[in-house]
Amino acid sequence: MSVDEFDPGIERLFARTPQMADANLFAAEVETRLQSATGLRTLALTLAGGIGGIIAVRQSMNVDLHLTGSQAPVAGRVIGQGLQSASLDLQGGVASALSQMGLADMSLGSMGGMQLFWITAAALIALAAAGVMKLSQEV
Amino acid sequence: MAKSLMDHHDVELAALAAAGGRREFGELVRRHGSAVRSLLRRMGAQPAEADDVAQDAFLQAFEKCAEFRGDGTFAAWVKRIAARLYLKRKAKDARYVAEIEPDQEEVTSSPDQAGLVDLDEALKHLSETERLCVSLCHGAGLSHPEIAAAMNLPLGTVKSHVKRGLDKLRARLSLDTGQSARATHVG
Repeated sequence: MSVDEFDPGIERLFARTPQMADANLFAAEVETRLQSATGLRTLALTLAGGIGGIIAVRQSMNVDLHLTGSQAPVAGRVIGQGLQSASLDLQGGVASALSQMGLADMSLGSMGGMQLFWITAAALIALAAAGVMKLSQEV
Repeated sequence: MAKSLMDHHDVELAALAAAGGRREFGELVRRHGSAVRSLLRRMGAQPAEADDVAQDAFLQAFEKCAEFRGDGTFAAWVKRIAARLYLKRKAKDARYVAEIEPDQEEVTSSPDQAGLVDLDEALKHLSETERLCVSLCHGAGLSHPEIAAAMNLPLGTVKSHVKRGLDKLRARLSLDTGQSARATHVG
């Protein structure tokens, strides 16, 4: 501040501010507004999170990877083709094993051998998942 | 023994408030609320408007608490926020008028009962812009260039408003002091 701007007398008068009678009431009002602002923000964040979650779940349910399609990225196509051939190899191997055991034509009611295979595979995967869950709980 | 909130320094309280401490910030509001409200009233705000702006300023200060480094005082920091908020609010209503002289007939000087010089009364004798410039300079601690930028006025205009405002204040305050001295002598 330059010499023209500075006036110690005036400065002192401005610095002299008596405590107002309703100072506590004013502070309480500010605290209330702070609290409601925080509450509103929490609500807005929760809503945004909820909406985002719902959109994410919906998108993941609608997802169609088309990994072997011509528009898929090269790495995606390679992985897709690998998975497809592995799945075919596995199916072929299981089918030949079942035929060697004379179970190729096995039917359980209306179900064919391949259907039975997929049910067993799903059950095994479910068992493995349950095992992993239990292990993680113990750890 | 744990320190109570009243024992904490402003800088400590501000650091705690920056971490989300609403109670600590409440203590800062209790300490400096009156100073901020007084400044806004001295700038020309009506009491209710001054309280509104002061509340907004404190809410903004809570959000920015992490930015307060303790270089100046906490009160000065909030006063600057409040002053800028008030200017923004005023700018929405109307542009500042370069030359407005107050209606001298409407204003009556009245030194307070204790014979003390009443700055608030003396400020009423200044034009709206002079009052703003002087209060921003001496109350909120803004420099002339800062005031010019905040009020969107040329620097020279701000300087002359401050100078004229201070001259009027000095004249008014010495008049009040003289009157109260005479009153004391007669009494």
